[in-house]
Amino acid sequence: MEVIMVDQEKCTGCHQCELWCANEIASVSKELPLAINEDPQPVPRVYVEGKRFALQCRHCLDAPCITACPNGTMRRDPESGLVFVNEPTCIACWMCVMVCPFGIINPSSSLKVAVKCDRCRNMEFPICVEVCPTNALKLVERKEVPEINL
Amino acid sequence: MRHIIIGGSAAAISAVEAIRSVDQTSQIDLFSDEETPLFSRVLLPYYIAEELSKQLLNFRSLDFFDENNVIAHLGMRVQEISPDSKTIRTADKNHYEFDRLLIATGGLPIIPPIPGMDKEGASTLKTMADAERIYNFKAKKAVVIGAGSVGVEASISLKRRGLKVSLLEQLGQVLPTVFDEEASSIIRKSIEDRGIEVITGEKATAFKGNSHVTSVITATREIDCDMVVVAIGIRPATELAENAGIEVGSLKGIRVNDQMMTNIAGIYAAGDVAETYDIAHDMININAIWPCAVEQGHIAGLNMAGKESRYAGSVRMNSIGNFIGHPAISMGMIRAEAEKPGAEAGEEFQEIKKSTKDIYRKLILKSGRIAGAILVGQTQKAGVIGILLKKRVDVSNYIPILMSNSLNFMDVLPLIRRNADKFKEPEYKELMHAGL
Repeated sequence: MEVIMVDQEKCTGCHQCELWCANEIASVSKELPLAINEDPQPVPRVYVEGKRFALQCRHCLDAPCITACPNGTMRRDPESGLVFVNEPTCIACWMCVMVCPFGIINPSSSLKVAVKCDRCRNMEFPICVEVCPTNALKLVERKEVPEINL
Repeated sequence: MRHIIIGGSAAAISAVEAIRSVDQTSQIDLFSDEETPLFSRVLLPYYIAEELSKQLLNFRSLDFFDENNVIAHLGMRVQEISPDSKTIRTADKNHYEFDRLLIATGGLPIIPPIPGMDKEGASTLKTMADAERIYNFKAKKAVVIGAGSVGVEASISLKRRGLKVSLLEQLGQVLPTVFDEEASSIIRKSIEDRGIEVITGEKATAFKGNSHVTSVITATREIDCDMVVVAIGIRPATELAENAGIEVGSLKGIRVNDQMMTNIAGIYAAGDVAETYDIAHDMININAIWPCAVEQGHIAGLNMAGKESRYAGSVRMNSIGNFIGHPAISMGMIRAEAEKPGAEAGEEFQEIKKSTKDIYRKLILKSGRIAGAILVGQTQKAGVIGILLKKRVDVSNYIPILMSNSLNFMDVLPLIRRNADKFKEPEYKELMHAGL
């Protein structure tokens, strides 16, 4: 499966990925000037951590969020291997938030659903990778798939 | 190979998935006391609250058994396990043979020795039948006994249905096994803000009424009611196992090794019924929570199917979601003080707290490693702390970072890199060279 990787050398911490993720994925209008005034405010699924480390869901091979979800809202797409939130059934119990080792699941108090990156699984290309002005974000094939236990 | 699974909840279903990930053809017979398949017990309060309809309580789709080629015996109680003949006997007097057996019978609600427990209007909340009973009671005023997770959620669900609700807890705080006093007081306020009367430090001594309950008596008061929900805890459902000579530990759960196998070869146990190694407390414990049941069922299932697999151990974790209100997460130990008497010489406990209005954060360290954490208000990065706990990473030099409200994964990446031998999963390995 393909995951998004950040190249530290190239990331300038410009937050464009956050901005366009929120606009494209979270906003109703999909138009930046309108999106910034929407209520609830659209939130991104990618986080620029520290000064230059854009991080989003890692789509763990053995995903603790799927293990913890008490009603099958957190799912893995059998074909792509991507982990996604089936928002209509999310009950906002925040069990997934509790176990995400990367801290990238947002317990949205306004939307009352768990918000996280699904690597734009319904789009042709992840928006953050597409907009990154320095090509610091790349879609990379996950090479190693070792045997692991929980 | 013939597999038999007793139980139909988290551990059982997880075991089915694990077996099928290795072996698609062996026969699997699953026996559950519950007639309703695949519902999530932890969601029963949502059903009572009319927040979720019955269909939405499912944690797997209804074609799960067909898809996984499982013969499901629903509403069928297993009455005896015979390890010698490798058979089980069911309530309808049928015998089934097994090569591998999983006991995932979960827990049973503890019934307190309170006079009047048998009166109409009183119920525990564990099974679908319990939830239906509580849902169908035509009551106006409820007393919920026990302010653990089930009790608190039951209170909220009844309040949402328009009942007057009193929540009675004999210890001095709500959620006493999940949060410390500071965190509990914040959560208590959010329960009270919903219009629920919270009474702590008082014990129910009797239920009054003729055939139907009319009040709950404590040492200092009588609380009028026409419904009582008893939620003082669960105990492992070990009767079947004990009668079969399967070893039960000091905590009254089934003892298992790190492959989730009991003292009898070929017989496994997982979930709320099992005693496992508790990573945070560094001792054998029963961590009766959903994620641990799924993990343990997974390990049991893999081993049953012949794929050797070991359980690193469990960590208790609880989350207060939107249903209760103010978000809060706790994991592992709750208090360092309470753990100290049993501590071995040389182990040093440290408790670090920080609080501002509605935000509270606490870390418990044991010899430099995280043994427990509580986060109230700001919880998104809780799992970053959780993984360091689970992997037993020495965080001595990272305390200010872990206590910071702006904690994020990148902050701990150097620590993960330094402990690369513990982070072999691809999702960590591929980040090891990032951020340098």
